[in-house]
Amino acid sequence: MDVFAQLAHGFEVALAPLNLFLAFAGAFLGTLIGALPGIGPVNGVAILIPIAYALKLPPESALILLAGVYYGAEYGGRISSILLNVPGDAGAVITTLDGYPMAQKGKAGEALALSALSSFIGGTLAVIGLTLFAPYLAEWAIRFGPAEYFALMVFAFTTLASLAGKNPVKALIASVFGLMLATVGIDPGSGVPRFTFGELKLYDGVDFLVVAIGLFAISEVLTLMEHTFLGTATRVKVETALVSMKTFLGSLWTILRSSLIGFFIGVLPGAGASIASAVAYTTEKRLVDRDGTFGTGDPRGVAAPEAANNAASGGAMVPMLTLGVPGSGTTAVLLGALMMFNVTPGPLIFEQRPEIVWGLIASMYIGNVMLLVLNLPLVGWFARILTVPRWFLVPAIASLSFIGVYAVNNSAFDLLFMTGIGVVGYLMRKAGFPLAPVILGLVLGRLMEINLRRALAISGGDYTILYASPLSKVLWALALLSLLFPVIAARFGARRVPEGE
Amino acid sequence: MGTGSRRSDRIAGGLLLLLSVGYGLEAGRLQADFLADPLGPRAFPLLLAVSLGVFSLYLIVRPDPDPAWPPAHVLGGQLGMLLSFVVYSYALAPLGFLLATTLEMAWLSRLFGASWRTGLLGGLGLAAALYAIFVFGLGIPLPLGRWWPA
Repeated sequence: MDVFAQLAHGFEVALAPLNLFLAFAGAFLGTLIGALPGIGPVNGVAILIPIAYALKLPPESALILLAGVYYGAEYGGRISSILLNVPGDAGAVITTLDGYPMAQKGKAGEALALSALSSFIGGTLAVIGLTLFAPYLAEWAIRFGPAEYFALMVFAFTTLASLAGKNPVKALIASVFGLMLATVGIDPGSGVPRFTFGELKLYDGVDFLVVAIGLFAISEVLTLMEHTFLGTATRVKVETALVSMKTFLGSLWTILRSSLIGFFIGVLPGAGASIASAVAYTTEKRLVDRDGTFGTGDPRGVAAPEAANNAASGGAMVPMLTLGVPGSGTTAVLLGALMMFNVTPGPLIFEQRPEIVWGLIASMYIGNVMLLVLNLPLVGWFARILTVPRWFLVPAIASLSFIGVYAVNNSAFDLLFMTGIGVVGYLMRKAGFPLAPVILGLVLGRLMEINLRRALAISGGDYTILYASPLSKVLWALALLSLLFPVIAARFGARRVPEGE
Repeated sequence: MGTGSRRSDRIAGGLLLLLSVGYGLEAGRLQADFLADPLGPRAFPLLLAVSLGVFSLYLIVRPDPDPAWPPAHVLGGQLGMLLSFVVYSYALAPLGFLLATTLEMAWLSRLFGASWRTGLLGGLGLAAALYAIFVFGLGIPLPLGRWWPA
């Protein structure tokens, strides 16, 4: 199938007035959500799902909106990193290292402009990568049998476990907890209700939306209660965001290299924007930091993480769309959202629902251009958003979470359940359990079990089918390797990268 | 590192171990009337229960140092917030969106250091704006409350 014909078809979908508007709304809200410290892409996407659902948007339109929030947040995250030294989200932590020193030297406008351009180049290159890469991966993945799928999902959990958070065992516990949540409800294989305790509400399973919003947004609000002292910006003045051609060209190779790094790290299951930006920064420091200017306001130190985190969010779409196996917390939430719309991503989606995949990909080209416009001339406006006082912002996030969940089911029980999950999420955060594996487990649990059972049904109960094919052998080996990776890395004194989103 | 207390992870490990046992026992009781596949509804949950059991034992044996739990006044604020969430969940339908959200916002704003007056004004503003956006803009119904003359 011709990629360009498909892409052209995707542009027809993306250029429909509703979808064009939603791409803009996603980009705008994403920048806003990214800019505000405290709400990152996961929370933003989770809070918007019920609205998209209640509006009865077609699935491709909902995905265009939600994905726009996801990659838009990677643009917005840099604003408070540069101006306040407070990262707007996990992917923008590294941007503070050189961004804030640049702002202190009076070069805030330059840092904002350069980082916007880096974000644009990283984001756009990642969409190009997605366009070229995804159809082939999907074509190849069509041959995956249930055994290969099961091994692939195990691999997704082990990479996430070794990369997200400090203690891999805690990440594994979080994964199993998510998988357990997924087993609640009617067993798809035999029709037996499991772990429902006779509660009819639980026969359909645990509501994904309630868990996602509770786990991320409510726990975030509880966490923010601890950091009320962080305060807000008193004076944020950015009139012009301009960067000289000389500075831009001086960073161009850094941007291109970091985009590539970011894209490939994004494609890896389990590794997202925060890891990509850290790896890109350390790589560039090693390659081009001859005078030791990194960390003191070097423009390349701003360009590298911003190109990488935007490229990573594009790259993370590749396994989510082609394999149906998300690589990060946010893509897991996106996948769960798609499932709410009765769409199951995976290799078949490219043939069965091309309007969803190609409409999304085309909208990402458009969205990145919109984001560049939003983030260059209008950056001063977004900077002013940072002055919204905390006493208003945090309660507003809580209210939005509650209304969203209520709008979908009109149920007080769901709101209580969400609060309970929020407490669990808060305790997990405090004790160093990462949250992304829980969502990944909840989203993948059913598929994982179905594939395991299908594989053994084919073999008549013979367990060797799970590692019979060469491909599944490779996947199991990779899974084992990724579990041993932290041990090996510690042995060689490699420093840990910051916590995943 | 190393000298601090490691009680948090031990308690978490203990609770998770309990969960794995309870979950495993419940899984063991599952029975299908007919077997469509060799594994049945029990095997996957049992696999999860055993994994969780092993991981939680590991956590008990090799716990991390305790995190810094919030001081009493923060805990009080968090509890106040959680209680208000419970009240809000029940009050939303009878009081209606506008009233319940204004009060909830005022209470939360107060927990974050605003005065009652600013909190109430901010809450009313947000509630009205959200109501307009949801009901008139997006066409998503929100409850008006039972006291509202129908």
